[in-house]
Amino acid sequence: MEADLMESLTLDGNAVAGFLEEIFGAEMTASPSQCASCGYAGYLGTLLVYLHAPGVVLRCPQCKGIVLRIVKTPRAVYLDARGVECIRITLRG
Amino acid sequence: MSDSFFSRGFTGRRREPENAKRVPPGQYITPDFPVLSAGPTQHVPLDQWNFRIEGLVRQPVQWSWQEFNQLPSQTFTVDIHCVTKWSKLDTRWEGVSVDTLLENVEIDPQAGFVTAFSYGGYTTNLPLADLTGGRAFVAYNYAGQPLAPEHGGPARLVVPHLYFWKSAKWVTGLRLMDADRRGFWEALGYHDRGDPWKEERYQGD
Amino acid sequence: MVWQLATVRAVRQETPRVKTITLELPGWSPHRPGQHYDIRLTAPDGYQAQRSYSIASEPERVGEIDLTVEWIENGEVSSYLHDVVALDDRLEVRGPIGGYFVWTAEMGGPLLLVGGGSGVVPLMAMLRHRAAVGSSVPARLLYSSRTPEDVIYAAELERLSRQPGGVEVFHTLTRSQPPGWKGYARRIDRAMLAEVLQPLGMQAQAFICGPTLLVENVADHLVQLGLPPSNIRTERFGPTGGPS
Repeated sequence: MEADLMESLTLDGNAVAGFLEEIFGAEMTASPSQCASCGYAGYLGTLLVYLHAPGVVLRCPQCKGIVLRIVKTPRAVYLDARGVECIRITLRG
Repeated sequence: MSDSFFSRGFTGRRREPENAKRVPPGQYITPDFPVLSAGPTQHVPLDQWNFRIEGLVRQPVQWSWQEFNQLPSQTFTVDIHCVTKWSKLDTRWEGVSVDTLLENVEIDPQAGFVTAFSYGGYTTNLPLADLTGGRAFVAYNYAGQPLAPEHGGPARLVVPHLYFWKSAKWVTGLRLMDADRRGFWEALGYHDRGDPWKEERYQGD
Repeated sequence: MVWQLATVRAVRQETPRVKTITLELPGWSPHRPGQHYDIRLTAPDGYQAQRSYSIASEPERVGEIDLTVEWIENGEVSSYLHDVVALDDRLEVRGPIGGYFVWTAEMGGPLLLVGGGSGVVPLMAMLRHRAAVGSSVPARLLYSSRTPEDVIYAAELERLSRQPGGVEVFHTLTRSQPPGWKGYARRIDRAMLAEVLQPLGMQAQAFICGPTLLVENVADHLVQLGLPPSNIRTERFGPTGGPS
């Protein structure tokens, strides 16, 4: 059975752990998340990641809907978090 | 980290000197055709595929796959430039010029902008002027073969004089508008026009 | 999380396509097994390429880390690490990174580790840590490779398995097997997972790492076998089993 090329290239939140830590200032892959579309609850590390695009897109493994989109330009970070109920950022204690 | 550190013996991708004039600033040539995507590949059955032009036109128009393939087509050999810094020279496509498609509608004089929209929800915005004059086409063949789904098939928009995120994969239509409405990447910081020769990568460039 | 300059202290060929690089880090801090470091290469003209590599070594080894790297065809960074890097070279790295796909002995078990190809690397960090702290958490590794020559850490896994309370190692060789091979000889499937999981029970904590399709199939099978989804952690390595 021929596997979908794109499917075999898909990574997960672990692949952008460093990037997320840059953006949020904290380790994020162990942060809980809930998909605003279908209610899937899982750690950010379990989200599907589409890389190499102009930005980083994290999708729900259940409904494939977009959970987070992040673009980092030389001057700014753009974040679209409409696809997640809430983002939890652990404070350094 | 010190600006002067570099990795011994690492040269990265080279810009071939004889092609230098064809490579916009900040770009590198690649021999492959990297697959870049914001989501899962769209698989559109041809008997359900359609392409339409709507918005500020007197009458919207729509083609089925069969009808679309009966339109006059051309082959195009063009250089393409992705905002992620890779460029590919002499890519060969076959498809229908956007000029040909626009002949089938009466465009409202107020229409200065276009949103291209795709199966799967992707959108991108660009000035109408960048789609005319032979500068854009809807392509269904690449390198002599039907365009693969990973690369945007059955059909994608190709606008080679702008960064390649404007060349919407899995395109299903063009909406003509009187105001510029930011698309998928433009809403997240990317440039409304995206001219690689002016390095218009991000808003404000 | 800052970039630091690491020094290459050792290079070791594990298999024909896999090498381990030992890096001494001036800013070393103990990692959690399963975490990774990012490596960034810079060309004289400023061009940069960056990749992530799972830490293979245990945090009990102070001051340095092992990164095990698979050579990827047309891989910009992996080919540099394989063909160019030499002792005393400097590499820009940052880390340790990650927090979801990690296991430390105090998290308990039992532990089911499933790896495909270079997916075994972070699992090896877990096993080395487990041995270093003398953990008695029951552990089983199911490791899929193509041929006997492709098995990374073969001798060390054998040694770990012979220790009292050592991990039980199950290999499956999917393309070719040595004469007299008594282990599994096919792609990981539900029956194989059922056999390996059975003595550990449904309290087992599972960590699955390797090519994306293998990871997804194995996770599906484990859920179908009754393992609670919250007991399963996954790390996808892309099509070939190497980090992207």
